[in-house]
Amino acid sequence: MIIESQLKQRPFILAAEGVNKSFAGFQAIRDLSFYMDEGELRTVIGPNGAGKTTFLDLITGRTKPDTGTIEFDAKHELSRMNEYEIYRLGIGRKFQTPTVYTDHTVFENLLMSLEGSRGVFASLFSKVNGQQKDRIHDILKTINLSEKAEWKAGALAHGQKQWLEIGMLLAQNARLLLVDEPAAGMTDEETHRTGELLLSLAGKHSIIVIEHDMVFIRQIAAGRKVTVLHQGSVLCEGAVEAVQSNEKVIEVYLGRKHAH
Amino acid sequence: MKRAISRTEFLFIAITAFIVIVLLPALNAEGIISNFHLNLWGKYLCYSVLAISVDLLWGYTGLLSLGQALFFSLGGYMFGMYLMLVAGPFGQFAQSGQNPNGLPDFMVFLGHTVLPSFWRPFASFSFSTLMVVALPGLLALGFGYLAFRSRIKGVYFSILTQALTYGAALMFFSNDTVMGGNNGFTDFRYILGVDVRSASTQRWLFIASAVLLLGVYMLCKWLTGTKFGLVQRAVRDSETRVLFSGYAAANYKLFVFVLSSLIAALGGALYVPQVGIINPSEMTTEKSLEAVVWCAVGGRGTLVGPIVGAIGVNALKSWATRNCPDYWSFILGTIFILMVLFVPKGIVGGINDCSAWFTKWKKGREPDSTILEEITEPAASPSQS
Amino acid sequence: MPRHRPIFWQLLACILFLSGMTLQGAEPPRAVIAKALITEDAEEQSKLVASLAGNTDPLIRDLLTAWKEGTLFIFEAPAGLAGFTEGEKLAVTLTGEKDGEEKQGALRVDTAEVLKDGEGKAIRLLESDLSAAETDSNLRVAMKGVLDVFALSAADSVSRLKVVTQIGLDQDPGLLAALRAREKIEPDAGVRRAIRQSLAQIELKNEDAAIRIGAVKELGAMGSISSQDALKELVRNATAGDGTEVAATAALKAIATHVKWVNFYGTFFRGLSGGSVLLVVAIGLAITFGLMGVINMAHGELIVVGAYTTYVVQCVFGPGLALSPFGMKIALPGLNATGAALDSYFLVALPLSFLMAAAVGLALERGIIRFLYRRPLESLLATWGVSLVLQQLFRSVFGSNNVQVYSPSWLSGNWTVFDVILGWNRVFVIGFAILIIMGTWAILNKTPLGLLIRAVMQNRAMASCVGVRTERVNMLTFGFGSGLAGLAGAFLSQLGNVGPLLGQDYIVSAFMTVVVGGVGSLAGTVISALGIGVVDQSLQQILLNPVLGKILVLAGIILFLQWRPAGIFVTKSRSLEG
Repeated sequence: MIIESQLKQRPFILAAEGVNKSFAGFQAIRDLSFYMDEGELRTVIGPNGAGKTTFLDLITGRTKPDTGTIEFDAKHELSRMNEYEIYRLGIGRKFQTPTVYTDHTVFENLLMSLEGSRGVFASLFSKVNGQQKDRIHDILKTINLSEKAEWKAGALAHGQKQWLEIGMLLAQNARLLLVDEPAAGMTDEETHRTGELLLSLAGKHSIIVIEHDMVFIRQIAAGRKVTVLHQGSVLCEGAVEAVQSNEKVIEVYLGRKHAH
Repeated sequence: MKRAISRTEFLFIAITAFIVIVLLPALNAEGIISNFHLNLWGKYLCYSVLAISVDLLWGYTGLLSLGQALFFSLGGYMFGMYLMLVAGPFGQFAQSGQNPNGLPDFMVFLGHTVLPSFWRPFASFSFSTLMVVALPGLLALGFGYLAFRSRIKGVYFSILTQALTYGAALMFFSNDTVMGGNNGFTDFRYILGVDVRSASTQRWLFIASAVLLLGVYMLCKWLTGTKFGLVQRAVRDSETRVLFSGYAAANYKLFVFVLSSLIAALGGALYVPQVGIINPSEMTTEKSLEAVVWCAVGGRGTLVGPIVGAIGVNALKSWATRNCPDYWSFILGTIFILMVLFVPKGIVGGINDCSAWFTKWKKGREPDSTILEEITEPAASPSQS
Repeated sequence: MPRHRPIFWQLLACILFLSGMTLQGAEPPRAVIAKALITEDAEEQSKLVASLAGNTDPLIRDLLTAWKEGTLFIFEAPAGLAGFTEGEKLAVTLTGEKDGEEKQGALRVDTAEVLKDGEGKAIRLLESDLSAAETDSNLRVAMKGVLDVFALSAADSVSRLKVVTQIGLDQDPGLLAALRAREKIEPDAGVRRAIRQSLAQIELKNEDAAIRIGAVKELGAMGSISSQDALKELVRNATAGDGTEVAATAALKAIATHVKWVNFYGTFFRGLSGGSVLLVVAIGLAITFGLMGVINMAHGELIVVGAYTTYVVQCVFGPGLALSPFGMKIALPGLNATGAALDSYFLVALPLSFLMAAAVGLALERGIIRFLYRRPLESLLATWGVSLVLQQLFRSVFGSNNVQVYSPSWLSGNWTVFDVILGWNRVFVIGFAILIIMGTWAILNKTPLGLLIRAVMQNRAMASCVGVRTERVNMLTFGFGSGLAGLAGAFLSQLGNVGPLLGQDYIVSAFMTVVVGGVGSLAGTVISALGIGVVDQSLQQILLNPVLGKILVLAGIILFLQWRPAGIFVTKSRSLEG
C-alpha cells in the first residue's frame, strides 16, 4: 500500500516493520508494518481488538515488541528504549481514558508537561519564568480551562480532563503526537473544536489519531490518509473515501456499523 | 507551585522553634523542667525526625518503606561506635586491668584483644559523623538503585525493604560482626570530652535534636514546594503516567529514598546518646511500622502530621507502658486499625478536610474538589486496554 | 606403636585361636573365668578370657561385665581358715543384705555356690577387706572381643549394626571368625553389608598383601566412609612395592567421591525439607497475597492460631489444660489418653487448626480487609495492627513463654539410604508439603469453588457480570488461605516450640517466597520455596555460617528480582498496572 515514490523522498518520522506482539497466546499485533511522513496527520481506525492501542503502547515503550523494529526519525530504534527516553525524543501521548495528575492543579499538570529538562537536580532548582507562565496561559486559553487553572485536575469533568490532557501534549511540544480517542466523552461542539485543533497542529507536528467517531474522522481525515487495522495488521490504507468504500473494510468494520 | 511558606505558617514555626530550641532548655537549666522530661522530649524530637523521613517516602512519594528503622539504627550505630571507643578505656575490664588496649567492653567479653581494623577510624568524631550519613546513604543508594531500576513498587517495595531490614538485623545480632551482638552498644561515657550523661550535655543534645528537626522540616518544606515536589507527588498518584511525561520516576524515587535514609540516620545518631543504648531490636520491621503509625495517626502527606503523630503516639506509649503495660500492644494495634479504616488522612489531614469543608459550606458555591476527586480517582491510571 | 601392633595382634590371634580350640567344651565358662580371675600372669589372663570368644552362654556376659565394673572380688584365705590353705585365692561375688558389721554373704565364681569354710559354715566378708579383681587394657580388649560376639547376636538389628560397625573400626582380628559366622546367618541386609565392611576393615591388617589389597578394593567399591582413617593409615605405613599403597589411594579416591555425593544428597535433602517448611508456610500467603493481592501482615499470627489449636487439642487428649486469660480461670478437662490414642491427637488437630485459622481469617476479611481491597498499602498497615493485637492476645491467653507440643513418637528416628541420613521428621515435612500442595491444587482446579476463585481473581468485573458473587468468593478465598496458614501452624508445632512470636520468624521468608515465585502462580511458589530452601542449605554447608547464608539468600533474592522483577512465573497480561 505504500506509495513507492514516498519511500525515496525523505526519512519517515515513524517506520514500523514486521512488528509482532502477543499477550499470553493472544496475537495483538501481527506482522505490522506502518510508515508515516513528517508532518502528516494520520487517522487509524479499526474494530475493537484490532490492536490500535497496543500499537501506541509499542511506540511509546509501554510494551516491547516480540519481533520487528520501530524506528523514529530514521535514527532511534524505539523498541530498545524505555518510556521516558522515548518521550524525550519528542513523542507525546494522550491516553484513551483521560490520564491526568488528579491531585495536582490544572496549572501544575501543564507545568509538569512543559518542555524542558526532566532531570532530578534540575527539578530542584527550576523556577517558573514569565515566558513559561505565558505559554501555560496560552495553552489554558486554547483548551478553555483558564478559569480553572487552580482547580485540582481530579475535580474536572470527563471532557475537561480530555482537554487538559491534550493541553499537556501541546505543552510538551512533541514532534509526534499520539492521540487515542480524543473525542470520547466530549460534546459534539467540543469534538469539532478538538478536530480543528488537531488540524491546526498538522504540518508542524506529526499526529496519529485513533478514533471511532466517523463524523470526527471525516472532519480530520478529509483528503488525508487513513489506516485500517484489523487483527493486528494493516488491512488497508488510503484516502478516507476510498477506505470507506473498500469491501474488506466494510466487511470487518464499517459493515457492522451499517448493519445496525 | 505555591509560595513555599505562608506568613502565618512562618510565624507558627518561628514561635514553636523558639519555644523548643531556647525556652525549654532554659527552663531545664533553671530546674523548672526536670532532666527526665527534657530527655524524654529529646527522644520524641528524634522520633519526629524519623517520622518525617517516613512521610517523605510514604506520604509524598507513595513508597511505604519498612526499612526506615534500619537507617535510623544505622545512624545510631555509626555514632555509637565513636561513643564505644571513647568509653572503652573507662569500662569495667579496663578498670580491672584486663583491657590494656582500651577496647569496648563487649569486645573484651567476646575475647578480642585487638581492635578490628574497621573500628579504628571511628575513634575520630568527625569520621563517625561522616559515616552516620555515608553508610546509610550508600546502602540506600545501592538498594534503591536495584529496587527502582527493576521497577519494584507498591507492596513489593515494602516487602523487599522488610527483607533488607531483616537481613541487616540478623547481621547485627550475630557476634561475628563485632557490633555488640544482642546487647548492642551501651554504657557510653564521654562525647567530645564531656560526660555524655550530664544534664548539660543532654541539654545540648536536646537542642541539637530540635535544630535538626527544624532543619529537616524546612528542607522538606522547601523540597515539596519545588518542581521536584510536583513530580514526587505525581509519582505517588500515578507512577506510570509520570514516565509518559518524560520523567525517570526511578531517579526521583532514588533521590527521595536516599534523602530520607539520611534524615532517619541523623535522627538515629542524636537518639542514641540521649537514650544511652542501641541494639538490633531497634532495626526491626516492627519499629519501622511503628514510625509508619506515627505518620498515619498524625497525617501523612503533611509535614506537621508526622511530628504530631510521633509525639502523640509516644506520649501515649509512655503513659501506657507505665499504667497498663500488657495492653499497650492492644492499644497501638487498635489505633492503627481504626485510623486506617476511618481516618486515613490522620489528625492533621482530618482537620484540614474539616476546615476546607467548613469554608466551602460557608461559601455554599463551587463543587467540593476533595469529594469529586475521590469519585473520579479510578481514572487516574492509564487505561488498561 | 602402630608398627608393633600388627605383629602383636597376629601373635595374639594365633594364641587365642589355639587356646580357644583346646579349651572350648573342656571346661565350663564359669570355671575359665574363675581361673582367669585368680591368675597372676596378665598375659595368661587375657588368653583365658579370649578363649571364651564365640561361646554364647549369657553367663559369660554377666560375669565379664561384673568384672569390668569391679564387682568381682578376690578372696585370700587367711591363716587358720578350715578347708583352705593360707593364701589360697578364690574369686567371689558378694550378695545379700549387709549385716550389723557391714558384712555380706559370698558366692564362689567357679561353682556359683555359697563360700563356706571346711566346717560348712558360710563365710561372711567385709567388702573393704577384699581386693576387687582388676583389669588392664589388654584384658579389657580381650573382654570386649568376647562381649562383642554376644552383641552380634542381639535381637534388634540396630544394636547389631552398631556393634558390627564398631568391630570394623577396632580392626580386631580376633573377631574375624565370629563375624564370618554371623554373616552366614544374619537376616538383615544392612547388617550383612556392615559385616562385609568390617571384615574388610579387619583384613586391612592382614600380613598377606593380596588379602589386604582385596580388602582395600572391596572397601573402595563399597564407598566405605568409616574406613577412611584406616586406609589413610595404610597409605602412610605401606611398604613400597606390594601394591597396597596404590590400591588404598585409589580406594580413598573412590570413597571421597562417594562422600561428595552423600554430602550433596544430604544437603539437597535438608534443603528440600527446609524448602518444604517454607512452602507450607507460604502456601496460604500464595493464596491471599498471590491470588487476591492482599498483604496480610497478620498471616504469621494465623499460623500461630493453628499452632496453639494443636497445642490445645494435644492437652485435651492428654492431661487437660488450665488457662487464665485476663484474670479469668478456664480449665479444660483432659482425656488422659496414652500411646497410639494420644498420638492420634494430631489427626484431630489438623482439621481443627484449619478451621480455627480460617474462622479468624474470615473475621479479618469481613471486619477489615474488604474495605481495603483497593488500597493494598493500607491493608498492609491495618493487618499489621491486627497482628499486634493477636500477638498480645496469645500472650494474655497462653503466656509469653513458649509451650511445648508433644510430637507423635513416629516422628523421631532416622532412615539411612546409601549413607544419607534421612530424619523421619524431615521426611514428614516433605510429605506434608506434598499433601498440602496437591490438596490446594485440587481445590483450585477441580472444584466449583476453585473455578469461582480463579474466575474472580482473573477478572473481577467480568465474573461479577456473569453473576458470580465476588464478595462471597473473596471471603471464601481469604478463609481458605487463612486455613492453610492454620495447617502450617499445626505443622510447625511438630518441629519446635510454640510461642506468641512464632509467626514473625517465618513471615519475611514467606513473603519473599511468594514474590520470587511470581505472584499468582502456585507452581512458582513451589519452585521458589524449594529453590530457596536448597540454596539456603547449600550456603550453610559451604559457609558454615547460617547467618551469613541467610543474608546471602536475601541478597540473592534482590538480585534475582533484577533479572525477573515479576518472579519466576510471570502472569502475562495486557494490563500493565498489574
